[in-house]
Amino acid sequence: MNSTIINTDNLVKTYRRYKKQEGIRGSIASLIKRIYEEKTAVDHISLSVQAGEFVGLIGPNGAGKTTLIKMLTGIIAPTAGAVDVMGYYPNDLKNEFKKQYAVVMGQKSQLFFELTVNDTLRLFKEIYEIPEDTFQANKNYFVKLFGVEDLMDVQVRTMSLGERMKMELIVALLHNPRILFLDEPTIGLDVIASKQIRSFLREINEEKGTTILLTSHYIEDIKTLCRRTVVINHGAKIYDGATDELFDRYQRNKKITVTYDSPADHTLRASAHVNLVLNEPYKKVYETPKEHAKYLFAELMEHEPKDIVVEEEEIGIVVERIYHEEGTVCEGAACAEDMEG
Amino acid sequence: MRAQPAQKIWRVSMRKAKKYWEITKTYMKTQLVWRADVIFNMIFTITRILFAYLLWGIIFQGKEMVGAFTFHGMLSYYIVSSFLSQLEMSGGISSEIHDRIRNGTFSKYMVIPAGIELYFMAMELGVVLFYLAFDLIAAVVWIFIFRIQFVFAAEWSVVVCAVVMAVLGMVFMVQLNYYLGLLTLKYQGIGTFLMIKNNLVSLIAGSIVPLALFPETVIRIMRLLPFYYVTYLPSMLLTGMCRDEALRGIAVIGCWCVIIQLVIWITQKKYFRTYDGVGI
Repeated sequence: MNSTIINTDNLVKTYRRYKKQEGIRGSIASLIKRIYEEKTAVDHISLSVQAGEFVGLIGPNGAGKTTLIKMLTGIIAPTAGAVDVMGYYPNDLKNEFKKQYAVVMGQKSQLFFELTVNDTLRLFKEIYEIPEDTFQANKNYFVKLFGVEDLMDVQVRTMSLGERMKMELIVALLHNPRILFLDEPTIGLDVIASKQIRSFLREINEEKGTTILLTSHYIEDIKTLCRRTVVINHGAKIYDGATDELFDRYQRNKKITVTYDSPADHTLRASAHVNLVLNEPYKKVYETPKEHAKYLFAELMEHEPKDIVVEEEEIGIVVERIYHEEGTVCEGAACAEDMEG
Repeated sequence: MRAQPAQKIWRVSMRKAKKYWEITKTYMKTQLVWRADVIFNMIFTITRILFAYLLWGIIFQGKEMVGAFTFHGMLSYYIVSSFLSQLEMSGGISSEIHDRIRNGTFSKYMVIPAGIELYFMAMELGVVLFYLAFDLIAAVVWIFIFRIQFVFAAEWSVVVCAVVMAVLGMVFMVQLNYYLGLLTLKYQGIGTFLMIKNNLVSLIAGSIVPLALFPETVIRIMRLLPFYYVTYLPSMLLTGMCRDEALRGIAVIGCWCVIIQLVIWITQKKYFRTYDGVGI
């Protein structure tokens, strides 16, 4: 049985944007003659997602991730190519289609800030035509899962960002959507709130079998949740495969930041593998291949630092690396074979 | 067996009605949060009546009639007209759509399984029902305070027509504002459209000067436009100033509702397809 739930074929989205020369003269000139340039936000993306998958969508700002999600949810129509989500063309905006998915965008809210979450849930129960017993069961399940029993009768505007995001997720999941689109759900959240959200999402994916498509700038979100990752850059898909493989192959370096109580000036024994990014008397930042990080770490500890922080490379660097090293789309294991060949 | 399709249609209709009624209730609840808004709305209703009383008192000094109006007839018209125009709050719809499209948050309405236009109608109803009660109380209290001999239509059929017309007029205004809001999808800014609409509405709806004071040719032209039937004619009908135009008025505003609905369907289908919405 075919369990493909999302399918796109050579999906393209182009749009026009207005350009103007700087200054008042440019503004007056633009009154008479407008200059537009065409920009491709999504460039021939073919993607297939199976029911129950948890897929990460990563890429730098402006890569086309949100535009892709907007096309998959029907908010905007594609310029070219084919798109099929649960058997529907999303931009037809059919209610039967909209009842089967949910979308949560980190900076956009479905909540009524003046009201309580219970009021919003009651509204969504009617909008999604959820039977009373299903509504009560789902509400109780999510309220317990998210641990927000005390917040249900509190005005939304008084909640913290993390609490609000939990509520957004409850509202989105109330009608048991088959697909959950998440656009930067952990943006602006602190470490604890992000961790909680990640744990809820994992449970929903595993327990309810909800297919989840997640975009995030945070490596931690993608690494801990998504078995599969799609990397997009300049609108094009440049990697589609296992998340572990992606980071094993392309996340090559670690950044180590060391601070000292007194000015430090020491020479490293294995300096060939280390790039000194920042060199100040009290603070030094090193970059080293991840397999060499433990040796550098051990050596730095000998100098009794005040603090030492080890960080992984950011998503942007990983994406740039794939982009520069691969001419075409790199499809997971197939990509590895090509490279070895 | 024959009753089954009818029952199914009934059930579906009831579910839909329940959905939109819940939206109405939600917006009534949001209104209840803001107590100052309620108080100021009542104060504005009162000040309008007060100014009208003073202004028309001066104009009617030493005169029995101005145009076809007596002093109390004019004040009755003013109270009904200001009451109806106060309830006509659909201007917020175009601003809401405009702002949300510009800020990239209009998707809030696109991703839920509810008709976007019906959502706005239900929302408007929630706001109107809330203010209806308070404005009505304010108007009645001031009728007693100023001892206005309120002039009211003698025939119930005329009153019913006036109410139907006022409701259709408000539906039309919601449709118009929804349509103007949708124009943001193409033009990005709708300030000019709104300015034209607001000036036309103020003049033709008779909220500045009763239209009966205009020359007949001007009124004839205005009768072709929908705004004439939003507050002006219902007010005239309710205060017994006119009865002949009742049925024709319902027909005209009804036609306008149908026409604008067709325009909305075409525009919406086209603009939702062409809207690029990228980068927001």
